[in-house]
Amino acid sequence: MTTLLPEHQVRDAHRHSKSSQTKRYGFFPGCVAKESCKELFNSTMLLADRLGIELIELTAASCCGASVVNDTNRDIARVLNARTYAQAEALGLDDVITICSTCTGHMRAANKELLESEERMTHANAILGKFGAKYEGNVMVRHLLWLLIDDIGLDTLRSMVVRPLNGLKVAPFYGCHIIRPESVNGWESARNPHSLEDLIEAIGGEAIDYAGKTRCCGFHIQLEKGNTAASMVGQNMRIAKDKGAEAVLTPCPLCHLALDGYQQDAAARWGRTDLPVFHLPQLVAFALGIPAQKLGLNKHLIDPRVVLTDRELIA
Amino acid sequence: MAKITLDIFRFDQAVDDIPHRDKVALEIPETITVLDALEFAKAEVDGSISFRRSCRSAICGSCSMNINGVTGLACKTPCNTVLRSDGTIAIDPMPNFQPMKDLVVHMDPFWDKYTRLKPYLQPPDRDEDNPTERRVSPDDMKKLVEVANCVMCATCYALCPVVSVDPAFAGPAAIAYAYRFVEDVRDGQTKERLGQINDDYLWLCAHCYACSYCPKHVEPHDRIVDVKRRTVQESVHMNERGPRHALVVNKTIKQTGMLGETEVIQGTVGRFNIRGLLKVAPLGLRMASKGKLPPIFLRPIPKVDEVRTIFESLEVPTLK
Repeated sequence: MTTLLPEHQVRDAHRHSKSSQTKRYGFFPGCVAKESCKELFNSTMLLADRLGIELIELTAASCCGASVVNDTNRDIARVLNARTYAQAEALGLDDVITICSTCTGHMRAANKELLESEERMTHANAILGKFGAKYEGNVMVRHLLWLLIDDIGLDTLRSMVVRPLNGLKVAPFYGCHIIRPESVNGWESARNPHSLEDLIEAIGGEAIDYAGKTRCCGFHIQLEKGNTAASMVGQNMRIAKDKGAEAVLTPCPLCHLALDGYQQDAAARWGRTDLPVFHLPQLVAFALGIPAQKLGLNKHLIDPRVVLTDRELIA
Repeated sequence: MAKITLDIFRFDQAVDDIPHRDKVALEIPETITVLDALEFAKAEVDGSISFRRSCRSAICGSCSMNINGVTGLACKTPCNTVLRSDGTIAIDPMPNFQPMKDLVVHMDPFWDKYTRLKPYLQPPDRDEDNPTERRVSPDDMKKLVEVANCVMCATCYALCPVVSVDPAFAGPAAIAYAYRFVEDVRDGQTKERLGQINDDYLWLCAHCYACSYCPKHVEPHDRIVDVKRRTVQESVHMNERGPRHALVVNKTIKQTGMLGETEVIQGTVGRFNIRGLLKVAPLGLRMASKGKLPPIFLRPIPKVDEVRTIFESLEVPTLK
């Protein structure tokens, strides 16, 4: 049977007080935002600055395990993440923000395992103790998407928009691990999430409702069987395109790599789709007035500047 | 009583070229199950509506179907939990299967994958040579209880996005069943079974958790990881991409604290696998042209020794 996390580990209930102080968050960028999707890292920092929040990068944090470490050993990823949480606690940062669906899901799963079992917590701390670290169990992992909606709020975001998207038709693509399994994430319905849609509407776009939004991008099997992975991209992008989407918005850099990189390979089976794919903070930052040239849009394989020009959002 | 309209997929492979839909308006209590609503429609309105069912209590696994876009057992889904605001419930056959008649589908691909696993115990010795009972301790049995709840309703198979584009993939249920025999202490064919499920693309699971909607809480996604882990422990097919990928990811994290993308691609495809590398090269070149290639050499994170300590402490699994 699945059990749900306690409410305070899901929603940021006790941190809602609107203080004038800059809010400080622990920040876990993940590997891909530091390697092949640096534009995601950069646009996140620019957006945080514009929002007046401080993201303090956990620079000594390791990979979250990326769902692959579990394939050989069930303990390693849990203890790696416990180490990350201990670092956050040592800096006085209980709120850890991620910018990747896979990091979100796997870090939350590890945290859930630790919080649910004293035996596992003791086991992890016995290993962390070898280098003088300890995890007290106070950390909560949340995605930037959740922060935007829970802490900043859609109304505030709406009021900060200086460059509304002019009705740009955007298809949300959640990325599996930010919604499933529901027992680990639980922040919104995994069957029918709508946070990305709400966000798209708040920044002046039109959200496209389509069956692919909660489906898998195939990233994790790209190296196992490339054609199959590409086909998963093509299938979802075909549905989005047929529903009138002009662009895609994703909170996950792995989905971004798959959707941006594999549409071309999927064209043979699914027809050309060529939908540009925005990282979540890129599109929000753009609407909040950060210049397009600072957001790394030139790093995408399918150039999103074309659709922005078509919509007369950039010259 | 509520006014509920069932919007039902209709198709008869014997006479129809294309499917159509029938709307059946009913007055029924909204708390009854979708299966009860279908039974009511069949009994009172249109006797030709076809669907599979037997036990009506989530034990036989016959009545999985797509209900307002959500695949699950009709007998376990109360109407009021899925009702649209306009009072309709759209009912379709399970995706990933060929429809036969209305909500009845051809289950053959699902059963084929299941039968390939030889889903029966194969003890290491003959009963004549070993006339005593084959006993299982309560602890060993615990591992099998969850997966023994599988009723083979194929909900997970219907939800699997990999199956939807690549029918070669065994699918979640078959792999969960492989687990059921691999972890059974009475079975003597562990390596053969692991080899078989590897041949049926065990490692093609995309980690999407779509099968976490299993109506019987078999948690196929966790069983798939268990079988992968056992495959690595038993060193089965270690030279194939799946296990290599898992091992090289571990290796780069141990070395640098980060998942090194460049090394993972080379290590998975094979550094000397020229054909394989050429296949991933075009995308690599397109990424390079945008200045998007990951670094070739990763700088280790601060205090990477701690990460290595964690790996060294755990490389032999110690905690279940």
